[in-house]
Amino acid sequence: MDSKPTILGVTAGRPRPLSPNIQIYRPQLTSVLSIANRITSVVLSLGAVGLVIWLTAAAMGPRAYGEVQGVVVSWGGRIVLFGFTFAFFMHLCGGIRHLVWDTVHGFELRSIYISGWAVVAGSVVLTLAAWAASLLLAG
Amino acid sequence: MIIESSDQVPRVTLLKRFPVPRNFKVTPQSRIEKGRTWPAPADASRLKAFEVYRYDPESDRNPRIDTFEVDLDDCGPMVLDALIWIKNKVDPTLAFRRSCREGVCGSCAMNMDGTNWLACTRFISDMSKPATIYPLANLPIIKDLVPDTTHLFAQYEIIQPWLHAETPTPEKERLQSPQERSQLDGYYECILCFCCTSGCPSHWWNGDRFLGPAALLQAWRWLADSRDEAEEERLDTLEDPFRLYRCHTILNCTRTCPKGLNPGKAIAEIKKMVIEREG
Repeated sequence: MDSKPTILGVTAGRPRPLSPNIQIYRPQLTSVLSIANRITSVVLSLGAVGLVIWLTAAAMGPRAYGEVQGVVVSWGGRIVLFGFTFAFFMHLCGGIRHLVWDTVHGFELRSIYISGWAVVAGSVVLTLAAWAASLLLAG
Repeated sequence: MIIESSDQVPRVTLLKRFPVPRNFKVTPQSRIEKGRTWPAPADASRLKAFEVYRYDPESDRNPRIDTFEVDLDDCGPMVLDALIWIKNKVDPTLAFRRSCREGVCGSCAMNMDGTNWLACTRFISDMSKPATIYPLANLPIIKDLVPDTTHLFAQYEIIQPWLHAETPTPEKERLQSPQERSQLDGYYECILCFCCTSGCPSHWWNGDRFLGPAALLQAWRWLADSRDEAEEERLDTLEDPFRLYRCHTILNCTRTCPKGLNPGKAIAEIKKMVIEREG
């Protein structure tokens, strides 16, 4: 005899498996932009710490500021700053999209996709424009 | 690519699945193992491979993925036809729900090529090679493609999906103007297939307390009904950090609804109504 008790043929004590979710669900513009909004918010929080370090250094005097500024304008620093700028604009555009949704507008699937791609294009264009402007003005 | 309606199958694939490990957040009994490849039918000229999630509660084995070769010349055009073909011709133990075979009953909702839809209204020709068939995402599995939806129906019960009226029952029916009736369009058509709730990442992580798009769309269907007189009580039930506000407007629900309804919009309407009653 089987030692394990069964109910309607199902082995007792064995929990039912959970069907896969994130492991198999197809990434779509809807979910990808949602997680992007989360990730960019984390990046902005970390960037805010960087901003505080930069301001503190400036308040401490020319030597401390010079050292921090040296890191900021290095190639690595510029790449990080570029990513931070992109996160800033993407989160800004995504935030505006969410504000519009809160007024119950733009919920037709077509509008959802148009505003979604607009967020992607808008954040790329604004990032490049901000960098072009700062490089032209400040070098 | 702009998606105009939920029945559009995406034509471009950048990522088939999110870049997470296969067993990311998966409990030991839910780990999917390699299954068997069933022999292809003899002398068939047009074959298509189907990878199907299998789970047998009567064995001690974990879920697994079996591969079936379906003879397209011997099979109807829809994914449900392929499943019935497999059950008739290859493995009679394959379990799945089906009834109306025309997108009305919502029984055959499952995850096909990574998105939730009804097997009876998805063309085999729209499926990738191989086609992948899983049960609705994030649900306890009874057998193969049959999920346990008890929790989802319990959540549906929370919103009390019936008419609440204090005024005495009129002699005939409670009348509505055509305009009042039209407020229910796009909401009353829900067939409770739970494609949306099962496809909602917020419900994956907080499904124990977040009601999910299907129940919330129904909640709005009753809030929008001119004959219903329990708006305050309904909003009291819904106004909760989890029940309503775990919706982060991801909108996988609206993308996946096989009836082309808009749960995301319904939830936004509820949120607006909650704000407006606070004045």
